[in-house]
Amino acid sequence: MITQLLINSLVAGSIYALIALAMNLIYKASEIPNFAQGEMSMFSTYITFLLLTTFGYPFSIALTGTLLFAFLLGFIFEFLFIRRAKEPNLLGFIIITLGFQLVLFGLAGWKFGSDQRTFSLPFSETEILIRTESFVLTEHNLASIIIAIFVMAGLYILLNHTKLGLAMRASQQNVKAAKFNGIPTDRILGISFGISSVVGAIAGILVAPVATLDPTMMWDPLIKGFAAAVLGSLESLPGAVIGGLLLGLVENLFGYYVSLEFKSIVAFGIIMLVLFVRPSGLFQKHYIRKV
Amino acid sequence: MTFLKVKNISKSFGGVKAVQDLSFEVHKGEIYSIIGPNGAGKSTVFNCINGLYKTDSGDIYMDEQKLTNFRPEQVAAAGIARTFQNLELFSHMSTLDNLLLGRHLKMKASIFQIAALNFRKSQAAREEVEHRRKCEEIIDFLELEAYRNLPVLSLPYGVQKLVELGRALALEPKLLLLDEPAAGLNNEERQDMIFWIKDIRDELGISLVVIEHNIQLVKDISDRLLAINFGQKITEGTVDEVLDHEEVITAYLGEPETDQKMR
Amino acid sequence: MKLKKEYFEDVKFFRNRASAFWAMVLILTLVSFPFLFKTYYLSILNLMALNVIVALGLNILVGNTGQISLGHAGFVAIGAYTTAFLLQVGIPFVFTLILAGLITALVGAFLGIPSLRLEGPYLAIVTLGFGLAVMVIIGRMDVFGGRMGMSIPRIKLGWTGLKYDEALYYVFLLITIFMIFFAQNILKSRIGRAFSAIRDSDIAASVIGINLSYYKTLSFAISAFFAGIAGCLWALYLQFLTPGAFTLMMSVLSLATVVLGGLGSVTGSVLGAVVMTFLNLQLDKIVDLPVIGDLISGFSNAFMNPSGIANIKWVLTGLILIAVILFEPLGINGLWIRVKRYWRLWPF
Repeated sequence: MITQLLINSLVAGSIYALIALAMNLIYKASEIPNFAQGEMSMFSTYITFLLLTTFGYPFSIALTGTLLFAFLLGFIFEFLFIRRAKEPNLLGFIIITLGFQLVLFGLAGWKFGSDQRTFSLPFSETEILIRTESFVLTEHNLASIIIAIFVMAGLYILLNHTKLGLAMRASQQNVKAAKFNGIPTDRILGISFGISSVVGAIAGILVAPVATLDPTMMWDPLIKGFAAAVLGSLESLPGAVIGGLLLGLVENLFGYYVSLEFKSIVAFGIIMLVLFVRPSGLFQKHYIRKV
Repeated sequence: MTFLKVKNISKSFGGVKAVQDLSFEVHKGEIYSIIGPNGAGKSTVFNCINGLYKTDSGDIYMDEQKLTNFRPEQVAAAGIARTFQNLELFSHMSTLDNLLLGRHLKMKASIFQIAALNFRKSQAAREEVEHRRKCEEIIDFLELEAYRNLPVLSLPYGVQKLVELGRALALEPKLLLLDEPAAGLNNEERQDMIFWIKDIRDELGISLVVIEHNIQLVKDISDRLLAINFGQKITEGTVDEVLDHEEVITAYLGEPETDQKMR
Repeated sequence: MKLKKEYFEDVKFFRNRASAFWAMVLILTLVSFPFLFKTYYLSILNLMALNVIVALGLNILVGNTGQISLGHAGFVAIGAYTTAFLLQVGIPFVFTLILAGLITALVGAFLGIPSLRLEGPYLAIVTLGFGLAVMVIIGRMDVFGGRMGMSIPRIKLGWTGLKYDEALYYVFLLITIFMIFFAQNILKSRIGRAFSAIRDSDIAASVIGINLSYYKTLSFAISAFFAGIAGCLWALYLQFLTPGAFTLMMSVLSLATVVLGGLGSVTGSVLGAVVMTFLNLQLDKIVDLPVIGDLISGFSNAFMNPSGIANIKWVLTGLILIAVILFEPLGINGLWIRVKRYWRLWPF
């Protein structure tokens, strides 16, 4: 049984980690917690659905189309709204992201109806890959883990071994200095939003088959992903991954051994405890303003 | 007579020793200045006295009362007010509100009394009116009448400095810590500041500790002087003694020999 | 230079006779409302009153103290369920109301504790988690009817000689007016100033003697108190409570209300709540509007799913929120101040 629990934790954790990564990519670049993240993923997932089911394209094309759409969605969100905030402060940005969330939520409900739809991917969540006495591994389980690892590796290479990644890291550390050195920081921020949106869309596609596709499908995963990001620290990408995996593990263990009903809120109990000891998450030094 | 007594305080951040084993005493009714190059640890000393930083070791006393490891609001209650190097004003509030905030500790109305603030005779309203009158006196003293109801955000820098000074005075402190009161002021404003600092001591009887870079101002106001560098005391004494001290000159102007070598 | 001799001028609720006059007119209109209009409109006003009280409290926390709460629905729920429980036990309404406020305030003070160490998004996630946790826990408790919900007994208003709905309306009106005065007095007093000081510079606030822990906790408690009172009225308004009534969306919309109305101002809270409630109800009927309605339903039939047209409400609410931040960060109140300034200088 413990093996099964670990597998479930790993799958849930990978998805949380992806959402947390998407969250942190934006937070690191702009100190904005993007509450529209979930709805952006949801909307992109609907695009996959549209391309696959309504237009009947093969999965590879549908996926490419979705990721392109996701990138544009993130980039345009930043360009149209975030960049134009008048007196930008944390609350203002939070409201903008909440507003965008409502817009996407409404549009999705309007366009696709709020009834739940089923969704099939090349890797099925019912097709069992390995079955032993102690555990069951579905195609979807394995695919989730592998895809998550691919995305993380991709992000690592992008950030550490490309010119774009260097520019992104530079503007994360010091926007002004980056700007003075000729980095187009505005555009870089837009690209960060785009990449974050792509990562979120991948998480959405992985969530959809398990959760059924409807406009509220990302609410719960988003909150968990956000919690994972906070757990690890919003400033650290490895922190997001570890936070996600940790949350998946704790949640599943608690759900099995203590209470399934309170599974969804135990995460917050733990996060409150962690934040009480380390106010900026596990992987970040707490910052104190100097006078 | 010793008023403020700082005894062997040390404070380090990570590996950087900002203040090392520093001691000094300020007498009652005195203007005591602290000078030193940038990064010498002057503001850190204030932050330690103030309770914004916890000292690693050493003690701070005022009037025989031990202030070591007090929280900032306890230090304020003990009668120490301060201003900041880079202005820490409540920028979205008016000048009057900023001064009224200085009266915070003197006001006592509870949340339940406040519900009756609309009634002229209520305890809360009478208290409010009384303290507004007090703040009005400070506004008179610092000649801030024209700015009373404007948000401090919109005021010129020099006026903002005065508002911060006024807010500190509103606490009716026994000791006032001024962190670079003349930084960023023009010549005329600096002369006014000298005048006010002296007035605060002479008319209000408040002792002052001043951090300042401008040597002219230091000469004009100080009774005694402390020079520090790398968080340690170089020397202490009257203005002339300290300013003529060899190490002080070196700290400010650099070694004469190295200068020549560079040429 | 005009010399001020009478300092009470600054403390008074109304700045001048004109604003006192208009306030009186407004109150008289509201008092005579039941005699002029249908009961349906009373229920809209009641809904506005509720939202005004929530917004007042949330604005003190967000606009004045500068903290963030994404879990205010949790506080409202606690107030509502406390009311449900106490009324069923048979406690008189007046005590129920006060207890609902105080118990919620106590919970608020507890939630304030993490705010002492946490900032911005970290606090947002904790409050968000709190809001969700409250609903899960209440849904599990049999005392509160679990997921099935529980019904609220009517309070005794027969002695007024009015119909129940009308009498209830006056109860709502009275409590709302009192809460508006209370909020305004808090903000004009040392406590309100201390809150704003923490928002503007916590370091300076502590140095002038403001105990940050105490005042941040107090701010949460006061904010929760308002939400608790509003929750009590919610219970009376809904007459039947289910945990599903207090969602994350409610918390988000409360925050939206405050931002729309204007951060850090009582007028803003009131305007925001009135406008937001109105919009929420009107946007449902947008298709019935003469020209715009046809355009929208045409668009909807051509490109969208006609059955999902109700969702247009969310799209518009979201756009309004974004527009407020982009064009008028101080919300309706900021707009109002600018219009007043413009007219004062008119025609120059």
